[in-house]
Amino acid sequence: MYTVAEIDVEICSSTKCRLCTQFCPEGNTILYDETRGTAYVAVDRCKGCEICVGICDDLAKHHAIKMVPIDQVKDGFEISKVGFKRSLV
Amino acid sequence: MSLKTIQAAPGFQDYLPKEYQDLLEDGPFFQQRKVSELGSFKEAIEEHPMCAGCAMTLFIRLVYVGLPSLEHTVICGTAGCGRLAISQGAVPFVYGNYGDTNAVATGLKRGLDIRFKDQPKDVVVMAGDGGLADIGFHAVMHSWFRKEKFTTIMLDNEVYGNTGGQDSGMTQKGMVMKMAPTGKKFEKMDMLGLAKTAGVAYTARISPTNPTRVANTVRKAVLIAREVGPTFIQAYTSCNIEYAIPTPKVMDDAREVEKDRYGYLEYFSDEAKTYWEESEKERKRLRKAEK
Repeated sequence: MYTVAEIDVEICSSTKCRLCTQFCPEGNTILYDETRGTAYVAVDRCKGCEICVGICDDLAKHHAIKMVPIDQVKDGFEISKVGFKRSLV
Repeated sequence: MSLKTIQAAPGFQDYLPKEYQDLLEDGPFFQQRKVSELGSFKEAIEEHPMCAGCAMTLFIRLVYVGLPSLEHTVICGTAGCGRLAISQGAVPFVYGNYGDTNAVATGLKRGLDIRFKDQPKDVVVMAGDGGLADIGFHAVMHSWFRKEKFTTIMLDNEVYGNTGGQDSGMTQKGMVMKMAPTGKKFEKMDMLGLAKTAGVAYTARISPTNPTRVANTVRKAVLIAREVGPTFIQAYTSCNIEYAIPTPKVMDDAREVEKDRYGYLEYFSDEAKTYWEESEKERKRLRKAEK
């Protein structure tokens, strides 16, 4: 079992900070939904390093990202199945 | 090259991999993307086998955003951790033999300049501290002495990470590593000083703590290399495996090391300084004219 990052849409959409998208070491993993104004995670690409959690908690001070076990992720976005999306809405 | 040359005939488009279609529709080609846009466009690099939380991966990702024209760039590398990611990018990657990376890049750059007279082609060497400062040292130095017009980026993780943690010339003095069980006996090599002595046009030392600065520095180095001469970026990209840094602390470590001994530093030669100031003025004038 491994954990992946999950972003709280409510907290994230109220900030528009985008810092986690810039500090994630993996390409095309933390994406940004322009319509909802929130970052979201491609769960099939996340390696669970928790750098985004540190950035969100310490640098941005928004506390919007949590690590969750992969089997508890509901309707996780998988970029390898559906491809790149500018918005999930 | 135009976007048309990489687009498939309409009948075949649906059979292309999804990733390829995404790169054509929302990719970084034929426009300069910004770090602040990350997450809103399809990046040129993804799905590589590098360790979770690797700072080198973050740096490489930012390099791909900073490169001024991805579609006219060839990246040259060698054995080491970095090539695991770079070889997965949607930019041509030439794998030099260990030791001759900068010699291969020299040939490539000269050949491309003869073949494409009207279109500037960028060659970027991106390899580790072992590949450039130890094994490829002679080729690096000679490419600088010959004033070859390409950029060399050193991914300095201060260890041979890919082969299991042996000390390199760039390892700090006193570090206990494999092959240095009582601590490394010699000082870290001063590659920035060597670059300056060899007459490199633009030299920078950087840590990946400020993504926008990383992209801007890479862009600056590549643009100066096009017109003036060799450029060199030395980047601190910690190895969280061999230095036992827990992945959530990787950025804290980068900030600490940056504060301690790896602060942002850039050096222009006189010619590069003049060129860069003039081209900045020109860009500002063009932006104003557009408005």
